[in-house]
Amino acid sequence: MAKFEAGMESMVDMFIFESTSLLEQLDQILMKTENESGFSSEEINEIFRTMHTIKGSSAMMGLDNMSKLAHSIEDMFYIIREENPVISDMRSLYDLVFNASDLLKAEIELIQEEEYTPTDFSDAMNKIKAFAAALKNGGSAPAADAAPAASAPAASSAPSAAAQPQASAGHELTTVKIIFDDDCKMENLRALLVVNKIAEDCDKLEYIPADIENNPDTAKDIIENGFIVKFKPSCDMDIDSILNLIGETSNVKSYEVLEMGAVIELTGTINVKVTFEEECKMENLRALIVVNNIKDSCTKLTYEPADIENNSAAAQTIIDNGFMLHFEANDPKAVIRTIHSSPNVKRCEILSSGTSAPAPQAAAPTQAAAPAANTGAQAASKAAAPAAAEKKSVEQINNMLGNKGSGAKQSLISVNLHKLDTLLDLVGEIVITEAMVTSNPDLKGLRLDNFQKSARQLRKLNSELQDTVMSIRMVPISGAFNKMTRIVRDMKVKLNKDVDLIFEGEETEVDKSIIDQLNDPLMHMVRNSMDHGIEDNVEDRIARGKPAKGKITLSAYNSSNEVIIVIADDGAGIDTRRVLEKAEKNGLLTKPMSEYTDKEIFNMIMLPGFSTNEQVTEYSGRGVGMDVVRKNIEKIGGSVSVDSKWGEGSAFTIKIPLSLSIVDGMEVSVGQSIFTIPINSIRESFKVKPNQLVKDTDGKEMIMIRSECFPLIRLYETYDLTPGTSDLYEGIVILVEAEGKCACIFADELIGEQQVVVKPFSSLLNNFNVKQHGMAGCSILGDGSITIILDIGNIISDF
Amino acid sequence: MSEAIYSADTKKKAFAADGVEILFFTIGDKTYGVEIEFVKEIISIEQITVVPKIPDYIKGVINIRGKVVPVISVRKRFGMEEIPYDDRTCIIVLEFENGEQVGIIVDRVQEVVVVDKTIISKTPDCKNVNSNRYIKSIINSEDNIKLLLDCTKLIMN
Repeated sequence: MAKFEAGMESMVDMFIFESTSLLEQLDQILMKTENESGFSSEEINEIFRTMHTIKGSSAMMGLDNMSKLAHSIEDMFYIIREENPVISDMRSLYDLVFNASDLLKAEIELIQEEEYTPTDFSDAMNKIKAFAAALKNGGSAPAADAAPAASAPAASSAPSAAAQPQASAGHELTTVKIIFDDDCKMENLRALLVVNKIAEDCDKLEYIPADIENNPDTAKDIIENGFIVKFKPSCDMDIDSILNLIGETSNVKSYEVLEMGAVIELTGTINVKVTFEEECKMENLRALIVVNNIKDSCTKLTYEPADIENNSAAAQTIIDNGFMLHFEANDPKAVIRTIHSSPNVKRCEILSSGTSAPAPQAAAPTQAAAPAANTGAQAASKAAAPAAAEKKSVEQINNMLGNKGSGAKQSLISVNLHKLDTLLDLVGEIVITEAMVTSNPDLKGLRLDNFQKSARQLRKLNSELQDTVMSIRMVPISGAFNKMTRIVRDMKVKLNKDVDLIFEGEETEVDKSIIDQLNDPLMHMVRNSMDHGIEDNVEDRIARGKPAKGKITLSAYNSSNEVIIVIADDGAGIDTRRVLEKAEKNGLLTKPMSEYTDKEIFNMIMLPGFSTNEQVTEYSGRGVGMDVVRKNIEKIGGSVSVDSKWGEGSAFTIKIPLSLSIVDGMEVSVGQSIFTIPINSIRESFKVKPNQLVKDTDGKEMIMIRSECFPLIRLYETYDLTPGTSDLYEGIVILVEAEGKCACIFADELIGEQQVVVKPFSSLLNNFNVKQHGMAGCSILGDGSITIILDIGNIISDF
Repeated sequence: MSEAIYSADTKKKAFAADGVEILFFTIGDKTYGVEIEFVKEIISIEQITVVPKIPDYIKGVINIRGKVVPVISVRKRFGMEEIPYDDRTCIIVLEFENGEQVGIIVDRVQEVVVVDKTIISKTPDCKNVNSNRYIKSIINSEDNIKLLLDCTKLIMN
């Protein structure tokens, strides 16, 4: 993690989460509007707000580069919002914003790294500024409804002053008369430019005429009388530099200082009013940050409201009345600069200085611990925060941030996945308990009509509850797929291979926790396909009669209770001979080479420490990839298989459970053990008649059903168990189907149908490849006993 | 449900200043110990569900309050003869840092003792002795010698 100021580190997580989701929202808006080729005012506002928030929060984190970049976009959209210019070049607008969004996202990634150096965004910013300037000029040309843009902060501070010029401001204001170039036209707008330019650096600003913004007639007035500006520089600027700014503004011919404002001497106790940016939220904590920033350089420090640390209601007081600081310092100017540069501080205004301190100060130290229940006006003062309090305050900030994520925007809430997990677990337990109650042995043989009715109702509600909880957790897989676009694009350039990436069924929904686990494996496999799959030479492809442009297909679809994801390429395919040689070299063979089937050979590439690519490239070839892929997929209860045809391409098939949770199962017993077969893989169950049994030359058994022959799998044999019966005609046979293959499974007896909650095996057992042997997981039955859930696909292929 | 004879959760303490808290149990006539921080709880032996296709020292899985936990027979793991379970047979549920739980079947549980660090000695670094590294260190107490097991090695294959 990059270094942040003390007290900020705890906020980094929140910042990353918030900014990432904001940027994603932004991308979605952009994508949507790009297709519709136009913004609605709501969307413009949304983008504006998004950028404003990012600007604020990144400034708070001390990430000035991000803040500035966001600021430039905010400005641009401010222009779009206020002026509604005709945007002729939509294309470049989108490019600019997309690019900025990418840069910000990349930066967010970067700050999570150990070593972090801020990226320089000035290039992008200049482009945006240039574009914004172009927009502005284009938009303000017809002077009729001209409302030239101001930069956002200026806009928020200027109008209030403009609306009601206060006579009372008196001597503290400097009054300047500005004369514009002759014949420069639209003097009112030029005047506005001046106002905008200095607004940011002034605490108070008034001008005559006041309505320059929307009254073109004022232009005449200005030509005749000049443009009168009265200002009080903000605490970190002095009068001269403001005057310089005015002089620099284009078309200003001359200016004349009519009255010089008083310069406030910074001595004794200085009273400062700090205003924070609108919508920055949690003003009390931001105030606390200011206090923490300056408390070391102050010899005396009090503030009101005093209970900012533990009273979030103080935020409103701060919004209403501002945050009042009273301090004494050896270098007051530096302190004011610090205040000014603290995150989210919009303005800091020096109210007075000298010895006339406000009354509460006298009581300062004693009241430090006072339970300051009263917010705001009745200011309980507090002594300069003692060092011990700092740690506490960080915790407080942390807590409050934790409580904060419940914005009601767009009627969406973000919920900790952990809570959803707990909810799902609970629903699982309810399902089991329901079965425990309704099939309770005590009820056996009783005729309970009303009970059964209620039980049915309960079951219906439970299954609805279950569906709802599941659907909360379901997200389309497109998110994971879309990330691959970027990888393919980058690799296309680096490897100089021309490849199309095609998505199929990206709307397929998968449990959120599965998607999270899927990103890395997908990335590995797509890289593999790009690097090893697609031929290096286009000639090789053409020679085989394939199009010069390679193709990688990512497809996803539902099949019974599974999601199947296929990563297919039309590249060279896997060379079984080379794989075998390599496996032999690495000592991975366990039987003579000739005995390996193609399928077994393909699966070898997923063994630890295997890589056929001699060269380790930037992207793949360390031989850890496929091994890790398999591990990761198995961790979420899935499986990976490889298929390939030399010269035609390879396909990696990932099968993952739709969700990790609940399946409908049929319980069968084999001796002491109870196995659960997922209902959706059962075709039928029946007792075998002697004329159905067929034996091959080795004595291997098959069952004939309606003139079709299926292999017979005796579960007790496959799993080395002591069966209740080994007599085929006494037990039960279940015809199962998975992945297009069928088989008959022989068990002692059917116990019944039940919904079970899948619990994955612990990694201790997974180490022994139980998945490969057809055990998908286990579950706890109503009576507390454990059943093993079978994975029919793997049983058939393992048989 | 399993009856918790002794739940380590409530009594789990950090290392005493100069001692290590160790739970001792016996297999046959030998006494072994595991560090208390690995011990989640101790339950009496209960119905174990067999899981096929795994090494025979893993006896299967049990249900501990809705959690499916694999159990290992320490006897089998040490290559000893298995004996029928009786009412003193216990499953010590170990919990590892990653939250994973594994039960180990032992003949009987003895006691939790704070062992002075000074009487704990290392095992010799020699490939013929303690080659599978199940033994972490040797505790040389007054009456007899006890072996401290390495829980992680015990469950690894």
